[in-house]
Amino acid sequence: MVQQKTNSVKSIIKRNGAKVPFDSNKIRNAILKANVHISGEKISEEKLDEITLLVVAVYDQAGVVPTVEQVQDTVEEKLIEFDLPKTAKAYILYRAEHQKMREMDANLMKIYENLTFRPSADVDLKRENANIDADTAMGTMLKYGSEGAKAFYDEYVIPRDMAEAHQNGDIHIHDKDFYALTETCCQINLLKLFHNGFSTGHGYLREPNDIRSYSALACIAIQANQNEMHGGQSIPNFDYCMAPGVAKTYRKLYFKALAQYLQLHENLSHQDAQALVAAIREDLGSDITLSGSEEYGKELVKYLPAHQQEGGYQPIYAQTAEAAHRYACETAWDETDNATYQAMEALVHNLNTMNSRAGAQVPFSSLNYGTDTSAEARMVIRNLLLATEAGLGDGETPIFPVQIFKVKEGVNYNPGDPNYDLFKLAIRVSAKRLFPNFSFLDAPFNLQYYKPGDYDSEVAYMGCRTRVMGNTYDPNREVTCGRGNLSFTSINLPRLGIEARGDIKKFYELLDDRIDLVIEQLLHRFKIQCSKKVYNYPFLMGQGVWIDSEKLNRDDTVAEVLKHGTLSVGFIGLAETLKVLTGKHHGESAESQKLGLEIIGHMRKRMDDECEKTHLNWSLLATPAEGLSGRFVRIDAKKYGKIPGVTDREYYTNSFHVPVYYPISAYRKIQLEAPYHALTNAGHISYVEMDGDACKNLDAFESVIRCMKEAGIGYGSVNHPVDRDPVCGYNGIIGEVCPRCGRRAGESVSREKLDELRKKYPNVPQYHCDC
Amino acid sequence: MTEMRNHNEEKNIGEGVGFERIRRITGYLVGTTDRWNNAKRAEERDRVKHTIGRQ
Repeated sequence: MVQQKTNSVKSIIKRNGAKVPFDSNKIRNAILKANVHISGEKISEEKLDEITLLVVAVYDQAGVVPTVEQVQDTVEEKLIEFDLPKTAKAYILYRAEHQKMREMDANLMKIYENLTFRPSADVDLKRENANIDADTAMGTMLKYGSEGAKAFYDEYVIPRDMAEAHQNGDIHIHDKDFYALTETCCQINLLKLFHNGFSTGHGYLREPNDIRSYSALACIAIQANQNEMHGGQSIPNFDYCMAPGVAKTYRKLYFKALAQYLQLHENLSHQDAQALVAAIREDLGSDITLSGSEEYGKELVKYLPAHQQEGGYQPIYAQTAEAAHRYACETAWDETDNATYQAMEALVHNLNTMNSRAGAQVPFSSLNYGTDTSAEARMVIRNLLLATEAGLGDGETPIFPVQIFKVKEGVNYNPGDPNYDLFKLAIRVSAKRLFPNFSFLDAPFNLQYYKPGDYDSEVAYMGCRTRVMGNTYDPNREVTCGRGNLSFTSINLPRLGIEARGDIKKFYELLDDRIDLVIEQLLHRFKIQCSKKVYNYPFLMGQGVWIDSEKLNRDDTVAEVLKHGTLSVGFIGLAETLKVLTGKHHGESAESQKLGLEIIGHMRKRMDDECEKTHLNWSLLATPAEGLSGRFVRIDAKKYGKIPGVTDREYYTNSFHVPVYYPISAYRKIQLEAPYHALTNAGHISYVEMDGDACKNLDAFESVIRCMKEAGIGYGSVNHPVDRDPVCGYNGIIGEVCPRCGRRAGESVSREKLDELRKKYPNVPQYHCDC
Repeated sequence: MTEMRNHNEEKNIGEGVGFERIRRITGYLVGTTDRWNNAKRAEERDRVKHTIGRQ
């Protein structure tokens, strides 16, 4: 707030002639907005106040009621006096563009009209993100906000050249609707969050004591964080995080079963049995674990008979003590296993049904696991996989969480590795449910960080592919947990190829210019992000989810801790770029592959150079590009016409992928794409499309995963058709006709037939006639 | 959830109900291609299978 020293300027005359109360804060805000509009010339809070006071002083002294125009003239003069030419220019532009903005409002209203009155089937804009249902009230509300925000940022916040580069399809500023609000994503360490409990902003939650509460709180943490960021949320170490929950459950159930046994077998009263177990825990401690129960049993066998004798209680013999221990171990193991399954089942169900963003979405969640070899973690992984395999209530394939199985030699990759059985199970489940995906910690660019047993050194992948590990800002903190991407912007690579007209040198010149622009734009956004305070993120920063945020106070800025995050430059359509430059894409020619690697290698080098220069974390992203794949090519086809193999389809090929339409063996595709994984340190994924029912060919499935691992792929998955007939519950491949009930899409089946099928297949849904 | 229609013929179930086709899009799964944007629908249509095994 500006302290008004004098009160003589009480009114101001608006453009329409109306006399309204004078508010010096409006002057201050206008200068601030102009300053935010440019990437240099930071004005301090004090300077802002000083300029504002000087502007007011002009009219104070004159003793007249100024007009808006006069005040704005004075602001311009003062900005120049203070040697802020860029801010002055932005301020002048801001005035001049005012009229244009009113026209912009009319365009926005047109968009709102479409969002409101036309179904998403007709409006592509409403299907920008397939996991948001823009036909619902809250989905539409979200789109209003999103479209309104984009229009606002274009006109008021984003520097003109950058906004235009986005609009004309040179670049794509991802999540532009959140430009001035938050960051992309975070890798949440639940272990740290759960320790001593946490608060969601709506209530305090104690440290959980049971695997069921662990999994429930995991969902809540993901949900709470998703509401503060614009991207998905990831748990990089899910197995490690849940293991203590299993241990606590097992301990609780062991002593419960022990008391039960003693009560029944020794004919004790319930109270006495409880008291006896309390004494055991008092004297022997409660440190019994899934894998360490034998030691405890030996202690117990020595302790019980002695305890009874010394206390003058009824005798309990060693044999009984041993039997009680065995019974308690077995019962606790079974019950813990059941509880863990229920917990994982509930987690999968919750993450497919719970709301974020006012009900428009479920939280975008990713769970990484596979490397914790403790008995507790193994129980978690196995049951999560089994719950995923079973599917949702009617046997549907769960869409969330994205699951990522971390493959590591010596841990789970080869027979004899402690988690090899879980790797095999992961393959079986993925063959049925498309998840888990597989990440490869042995890929050299991931292996360089790996320290055995330290989850913070294991690379994790978020949702669609984001990867955060290297740390130029603080090389001692090259860790997974608490970090994420700040924002990313993608370059329309094919357009550069088209404009270079076959001249490779020219192409690189254009590419360098484009990278310069994107770097400047990411820095502009970063500057705004850095101005946020801890209180803008009550969960992410307030609860210490983001790295080092626990050291900050509520009113501190997040500028320093954000520097652990990444700024990423992405790209789309390497295949089309190569096609236009050389006539062949990298699947078709070794020469093109060589050029492709040079281009992406150059982009990566530019990022590394920028790290050197700024000590921030610049990285290169193989952009996921859901909305982008169509947007760029639509603009380019209009601008340059239909160029065969380049602009003649409805989409540009994803990142460095070999085009989806190009026939190629899985092996060759993997070999061609793997080297790009090493270059795209902000994230990458490769797919193989597998024919037929993957469940019936697990060996082939596994051979693809092993091929990826050996080739140095960082993150990959196998796509195969997963269809479901909601009428008879069949899950598998459905062509024109459902192989189980024989209907075509839209056709009905008789109730008798379904009853008949249910005898054979218990997962045929039940129908209750309510007619 | 798909709504089951069984109004005029009590004995028949599933009229107007399509098949669910789960596909991966940019790393995420999507329950049905209905909500895919036009470009991604085209991309999915064009996808060819990759032969498994060395050739």
